[in-house]
Amino acid sequence: MATVTALDDRVLEGLAEIVGHQYVLTSKTARINRARVPSMFAVHRWEEHVPQVVVLPASAHEVSEIVKLANRERIPVVPRAGGTGLVDGAVPLNRGILVDIKRMDHVGEVDLAERAITVGPGVNMFKLNEMLRPYGVMYPDNPASYTCALVGGRIGTNGWSLLGARFGHVRNLVISFEIVLPTGEIIRVGEGGGIKTRSSSSGYRLKELFMGTQGTLGIVTEATLELVKRPEAEFSAFWLQRSYDTAWKTGGELMRSGYATIAGVMLFDERKVDFVRRDDEAYVPQPDWCEAVCAFALYGNRAEVRPAAKEMMRIAKASGGEYVGDEIAQLDWSARHDRYATPLHGRTPNGQVAPMSWHCEDAGIPYPKVPEIRKRWHAIVDDLVARHPIFDDWGMFSYTNGPYKPWGDMLCEIDVGIWEEHLDDETWGAWVDCKREIARASIEVGGTISAAHGSSRAGEVDLVPLELGGAYDVMKTIKRALDPNNIMNPGKYGLDSAYEDG
Amino acid sequence: MQGYRRADQTPPPAQRITDLVVMRHEHIYEVDPDLMTEHVEQQHIPAWDMLRMVDSRLEWLYMLQAHFSDERVSGEELLAEIEAEEASHP
Amino acid sequence: MTADDKPADPSVGRVLDDWRNAAYNCFSSGHKFCREVCPVLQVTHDETHSPTAFHANLVAMDKGLLTIEDVAADYVNCTQCGACELRCPNTIFAGDFYRFRTRTVDLVKAMRALAVENDIHQPEWQRWNLQTDELKAEPVLEGVSQERVADWAAELGLPIGGETILFCDCEAAFYRTSQPKAVAKLLLAAGVEFGLMREQWCCGGPAAEMGYVDQARRFAEHNIADWRAVGAKRILVLDPHDYITFTEDYPKYFGDDYDFEIVLVIELIAELIRDGRLTLTVPVERRATYHDPCRLNKRKGIHREPREIMRAIPGLTFEDVDHVTQWGYCSGAGAGLGIEKPELTAAISARRVEQAATLDIDLLVSACVWSERPLSEQAAPHAIEVCDLMELVAHAAGLQPLAGLNVAAAGD
Repeated sequence: MATVTALDDRVLEGLAEIVGHQYVLTSKTARINRARVPSMFAVHRWEEHVPQVVVLPASAHEVSEIVKLANRERIPVVPRAGGTGLVDGAVPLNRGILVDIKRMDHVGEVDLAERAITVGPGVNMFKLNEMLRPYGVMYPDNPASYTCALVGGRIGTNGWSLLGARFGHVRNLVISFEIVLPTGEIIRVGEGGGIKTRSSSSGYRLKELFMGTQGTLGIVTEATLELVKRPEAEFSAFWLQRSYDTAWKTGGELMRSGYATIAGVMLFDERKVDFVRRDDEAYVPQPDWCEAVCAFALYGNRAEVRPAAKEMMRIAKASGGEYVGDEIAQLDWSARHDRYATPLHGRTPNGQVAPMSWHCEDAGIPYPKVPEIRKRWHAIVDDLVARHPIFDDWGMFSYTNGPYKPWGDMLCEIDVGIWEEHLDDETWGAWVDCKREIARASIEVGGTISAAHGSSRAGEVDLVPLELGGAYDVMKTIKRALDPNNIMNPGKYGLDSAYEDG
Repeated sequence: MQGYRRADQTPPPAQRITDLVVMRHEHIYEVDPDLMTEHVEQQHIPAWDMLRMVDSRLEWLYMLQAHFSDERVSGEELLAEIEAEEASHP
Repeated sequence: MTADDKPADPSVGRVLDDWRNAAYNCFSSGHKFCREVCPVLQVTHDETHSPTAFHANLVAMDKGLLTIEDVAADYVNCTQCGACELRCPNTIFAGDFYRFRTRTVDLVKAMRALAVENDIHQPEWQRWNLQTDELKAEPVLEGVSQERVADWAAELGLPIGGETILFCDCEAAFYRTSQPKAVAKLLLAAGVEFGLMREQWCCGGPAAEMGYVDQARRFAEHNIADWRAVGAKRILVLDPHDYITFTEDYPKYFGDDYDFEIVLVIELIAELIRDGRLTLTVPVERRATYHDPCRLNKRKGIHREPREIMRAIPGLTFEDVDHVTQWGYCSGAGAGLGIEKPELTAAISARRVEQAATLDIDLLVSACVWSERPLSEQAAPHAIEVCDLMELVAHAAGLQPLAGLNVAAAGD
């Protein structure tokens, strides 16, 4: 792998020639504040992840020149967009040059004929949609970090969208994009040659190859995005259920109901309901009998949403649950466009409030196995909490996972609070072991470690070869072919092993 | 009109809602203050600021709703229709 | 990377103790919902001085990775507009439930004060506060002096003292004198009785914002003593910055002894119009939008009354941009940013004016005198003029013509 050398003045001067002196940041605060993302972080080992220099390029050409320089000098390069990821893609594992792309926030022409817009990787979706609103269209990529995540990071993680069942996820919504390869070439990947073509059989499907790489295969410098008609109508419903089993069965029926306007079906388990009872963001008292929640949402034209919603309400009503009412249903749903768990959700074993980081597992689990994984995961986390009370089980959510296909499997999220202030080598080690066991259970039931964020976090990353089998060996071959000097985000996804044999 | 007075900023006394939750201002739920004594101390938040947070939350959520679609279909209305249909065709 | 071995000043430990929980509360979220509403970041795109970094720096200081010397200059990059702390999920979704919200503004003030306490000064702020200390008013232009603090009211014959006092902000008293005149004329027209202070000093808020806390406190003590000496019980405030100082800083300084009623003039004027005590009859045939001053909208949640007033002005076509969208807007003038980094204030103002220029308007109406100078400077290249809401109302009430506008309003 690339050696980590101290950056001498010659390198800094070279970077300054590319981006300008004011955009080469060497101060301690500039670097220390780009060592971390909201993903689980060993605070006690912060120093190990501080980049050596930060650069803020303004164009693909500048990014390309930075990467070429890094190749000549064998210095690691780590791309960073919004820094809002729940996986450590933007954390410099081996320091080096941090390429912060936030200045690349240009917004191109709104093409209403071909329904597309081309933007820089530093553009945020909420702001883009504010700008698009008068045109009657939107770019419907909707993660929990909707108001702060950036397009470049969404491509780097191959992100999942809350509205994916209706509009697709990032891989479906980004039509084509430009990427600087680890050796500095600038290429465009999409569907064939046309930057706004939706489907092509010409050549390999490279667009998906360069998505979700966590920055290991290049830096995205521009993207052409899908514009859909802004929905006329929204429907959201939350049903309180007496048991998880009822919620799961009802959810399954709704998922398979065939209505094309379904944006998502969601389940809360009993531990999540307890969590909501103690402190949800918009606290609402719930009846004692409620042990689970089944919720669903629809978007689209008025003429489609209302009749479909009515039939889905009929299904939900037949389950014997209770509808929470319009006010709570609509407000709670709108909060999901903009929701990360807040630290004061954390509780110590005696019930005291403590500031904990939100860790979100995001496995993709076959629908029939969801009740089983719920039990296995809680048992794994309970064991951790019993040994180390700086962790806290915040319950489980499940969402429909497939793009345009709300059936078959679910994104299952077990949320764990981590009191990072008190992490040390022992508790960090226990956590990494726990993560690995959670991932192992997901693989064992026939699922994937990650449906949304990526699987490069400590613990789970050890099992990526197990999940992918021979495909992981192909990943290593590709990595080594495209990044001969291992300068692009080295250390991520265990890909250093690609360089060990030769 | 009534302006700001420091004396008006003390919150009303707490009413218990559940084992873990109390209420001081109407419809504004708060964690039981006894749960914030060991690790995180509560702040002195004047009444105007509490009300501002609650108002801002609702305004923000309504704005997000309007951001994503023009209108919301009422589940209560749909249920009423379903129940009426069930009553007429039992 | 570890900080130098020299022992930190005890003041550092005190600030860390005060802010440790708040710093970890932000650090352990790391969401960065603040980034896209921060006016400074929207023009610099530099995460080094994000509200998240402002908190994380304390965690790093606590771990021995940074010192106050390392971080002091970063805290200049803030207008204390309050957008970050309002949009933070720890405030907007959980702040009321836990009685614990994100307080970036207070943190920035504390860190600036810590820098000053450790003799780390930003040159322009040091000069500004020294001159303010000397002049008893901010040096908003050449010729500021204590003798001239009430010159703006010379022709109005206002009394000194009384139960109700009008406090006039430094920028209004010396630079934009048409604004306090408009306010005074409106109050007189509506029959509100009020007087001026014997000797008004700067409110002290700017000194507190820039870290010169002892000076801020001295100025506050002087003003309080003057209020008491003239028998004041109620203070009318025409500037949002002063309103913050009198409703947040002074209550902290003086505790239970602080028994004054603080009235925001905009709210009072809205009531006077509503009750028919002020009638607006002179039409203003202009297309206008309203700029929500940060300290009213984001810091205090005050956004209805200014819009109510805008809608009461005859002839005016009001193109509103809702106040939630305006959480992301700012003139860039707050908290001394324009003193230390005028180029950033100019860039933020330029962005705000560009937002206004996307509307079909020719008038940008603000309710904060501090915003009006930088906004006017940036509005020049556009066919947009900037005016103060109170001046617009005074015009519509037939009390004084709109000052300084190139395009004459109908009815002039």
